[in-house]
Amino acid sequence: MDPVLADRLQFAFTVMFHYLFPIGTMGLAPFVAAYTWKAAYGGDAEATRIARFLTGLFAINFAAGVVTGIPMEFQFGTNWASFARRSGAVVGQPLAMESMFAFFLESIFLGVLLYRRREAPAPFAAWSAVLVGAGSWLSGYFVIATEAWMQHPVGYSIAAGGTIVLADVWAVLTSSFLGWQFVHVLTGALVAGSFLVGGIGAYYVLARRDEVVGRRLVRAGAIAALAFSALAVFPTGDANGRNVTAVQPIKLAAMEGLFASRRGAPLAIIGMPDVAGGRLIDPIYVPRLLSFLAYGNFEADVKGLDAYERDLWPPVEVTYYSYRLMVGLGTIFVGVAAIAVALLALGRLWRARWALWLLMMSMPFPYVANEAGWVVTEVGRQPWIIYGLMRTGVANSPTVGSGETIFTLMGFLGMYCILGMLVVYLVLRAIATGPQEDAT
Amino acid sequence: MSVAGFVVVAFMLTMYVMLDGYDLGVGAIVPLIARSDRERAAAMAAIGPFWNGNEVWLIAAGAALFALFPFAYAASFSGFYLPFVVILWLLMFRGIAMELREHFASELWHQFWDAAFCASSALLAFIFGIALGNLLRGLPLDRAGYFQGTFAFLLNPYALAVGFFAVATLALHGATFAAMRIEGAPGQRALRVVRSGWWLVLVLYAGVTALTLAMHAPQRAWLPLLPALSLIALAALAWKARRGEAAAAFAASLSFIATLLAAAAATIFPYLLPAFPASRGGISIFDAAPPASALTCALIVNAGGIALVGIYGSIVWRQMAGKVRVE
Ligand code: HDD
Ligand code: HEM
Ligand code: HEM
Repeated sequence: MDPVLADRLQFAFTVMFHYLFPIGTMGLAPFVAAYTWKAAYGGDAEATRIARFLTGLFAINFAAGVVTGIPMEFQFGTNWASFARRSGAVVGQPLAMESMFAFFLESIFLGVLLYRRREAPAPFAAWSAVLVGAGSWLSGYFVIATEAWMQHPVGYSIAAGGTIVLADVWAVLTSSFLGWQFVHVLTGALVAGSFLVGGIGAYYVLARRDEVVGRRLVRAGAIAALAFSALAVFPTGDANGRNVTAVQPIKLAAMEGLFASRRGAPLAIIGMPDVAGGRLIDPIYVPRLLSFLAYGNFEADVKGLDAYERDLWPPVEVTYYSYRLMVGLGTIFVGVAAIAVALLALGRLWRARWALWLLMMSMPFPYVANEAGWVVTEVGRQPWIIYGLMRTGVANSPTVGSGETIFTLMGFLGMYCILGMLVVYLVLRAIATGPQEDAT
Repeated sequence: MSVAGFVVVAFMLTMYVMLDGYDLGVGAIVPLIARSDRERAAAMAAIGPFWNGNEVWLIAAGAALFALFPFAYAASFSGFYLPFVVILWLLMFRGIAMELREHFASELWHQFWDAAFCASSALLAFIFGIALGNLLRGLPLDRAGYFQGTFAFLLNPYALAVGFFAVATLALHGATFAAMRIEGAPGQRALRVVRSGWWLVLVLYAGVTALTLAMHAPQRAWLPLLPALSLIALAALAWKARRGEAAAAFAASLSFIATLLAAAAATIFPYLLPAFPASRGGISIFDAAPPASALTCALIVNAGGIALVGIYGSIVWRQMAGKVRVE
């Protein structure tokens, strides 16, 4: 196998698996912090039980996130040595900040939250919960800073020998591409967290156990899910689309399956891309909408794939379908959450078992949407590893052959398979045990 | 500037060994100090709140190397691809064992996790020792600075000796920690491990130091001072352990490790990856140095971060102070 392909498969697999857990921690963090806070300062018994229960779920996610995160940090050196050599002076900075400013914060205070003594003062727990939550958001921010720089390099200069040199850290840390990407990623995680909370609550109500807690979880989860799903579409999703249009127009063309450039471009709702034929099969179009979404003008010129050299095209089908998947699910989430909130407002949700079922069955889908979004982002930027500066094909480690990479990929597959089963088992068991008085 | 970068990376790695070292060490000696399921649970609880934060020092050191010396980062991580992946797997396995043990009720599962925890802790100490040994001995590097050797090269007698020395040292370190932190029988047994085990460390220390001196005549006049300080620290450790002052013994053990690693860093300076044979040079901090802008940024980040970690550490340590009970 081509060694670069092996490295790409390994990276894609390990990062997509790792990402499952930050979704959980970043998405649950505000709920954990809010209930722990309430338990410490407002003091009703249910808040304490919910805080304990959600902290337990958070901890399982955190543990798996740590375990799968360590290989990520190492892989830039092990599998992408040429990339690391050329751009480490830039890419290494946000990663170093992540360790120093986020990981220490998170892991030290999570230790407090989990192992604190019974007699320790409650405000200390409340503050620790807030700090852990802040740490998980901060680590998301710094990782996305690295990733956004690879999508849209700024604040650098090129030294003799081609090494990429840091010119301006603030530009790296405050680019508007990064800003919108980070809030979109965060909203995506919060959508998942809200549906998790609401879905677990719906399960308790449906199963007629822990109903008081269940109702509170449904209420908090559904309202948050509506707010965050709406934010995922607008403004964050929309802004991300505009950023892509501005800096990576080929990715936009692939996402939309737009083969031929045109003015007043239509938006394809469905259709199958036929790359060899250069067209969409059986499309359904909304006239001129793409021009509007991309440029805010129904008549704007949109460049299609035909405007670019063939070797600059990303894999079109993968990008196209993943994008449909994310956007389609995003639209459905708004609908589901709106139904739940409307029934809640009318006071009829507790009798509408079908709506509770819907809420419960929605739980896994935000994960799918999040991963699909990443596939759009990462596959859509190929063939570049650093957009416009370095190609993926020359970024791997010269001393590592595909045999070694495939061997270790198998190892990761096996290990993650077991880890995945353990995590699922533990989460299901935590849910089955439920929010108990004395769970530790 | 580059020198400051070297100091930062060496400092972070030293912190890693001093801190994660004690929880690796507790892992390695669990069978010696804990006999029952409850006692093993207490041993794990003793390090429970800390090990994750300790491990972040390794991640942070890796990231600092990446930001400060990308050439050395790329050459070492890809050159030692398989050993690095093995380290990763062991770290993961150990993390899983520690995180999940208490989630399972059955004693059989506990025994499985305990064995996994012990074996992965001891193996990690061994591999880190081998890595350090090879760093001191030098590595066959090609022109571009990539590693050109084989596994057999890495498993040379000197590196293996350093590996055994590392296991013994960290086991001793973990034992002083356990003696300080666990109440009752396991703490007592840990103290006994310290009292009888420090001889072994002394013997290995003498052997490894002699081998190292034979390989590298000290280039700086003050260099022999550091091994001498280590010896004093080791003596203090033994003395305090004999008097049953576990916290003082732990402090002495920390200084023992710090001086050893300082000596190792001073020996390879200014190289990050010295070549084998030594006449070939290697990747030094000047070859691998990034431009001043990146260096300044990374130094500020790391200095600020280290200060913050000190603050968190002191808050948390105050909250978590005291001994763990066997329940
Ligand atoms: C629950 C999750 C979720 C939902 C409902 C949506 N997204 Fe999304 N999207 C993500 C989760 C996500 C993500 C996984 O978090 C990504 C991957 C990289 C990123 O920046 O966010 C992403 C990427 C991403 C990108 C690519 C950015 C790039 O290539 O740099 C665009 C253009 C959009 N999204 C746009 C949208 C639109 C228009 C949505 C409207 C329905 C939408 N997203 C819903
Ligand atoms: C958690 C979120 C992420 C997911 C799910 C993700 C997903 C992917 C996928 C699917 C690929 C393979 C694309 C292909 O080879 O066609 C890939 C490649 C890659 N991504 Fe990401 N990515 C994520 C975040 C990041 C971040 C934060 C970085 C940088 C810090 C990054 C850097 C890379 C690199 C170096 C490659 C390999 C080169 C390449 O194939 O482009 N990714 N990622
Ligand atoms: C290639 C990219 C990535 C690298 C190098 C990486 C690295 C790491 C490492 C080393 C850890 C363990 C930290 C510890 O010991 O406390 C970790 C955990 C974490 N990562 Fe990643 N990660 C990557 C992708 C992502 C992405 C895309 C996100 C979010 C947007 C993310 C968010 C987190 C969070 C929040 C944690 C804390 C533990 C948890 O919440 O699960 N990571 N990551």
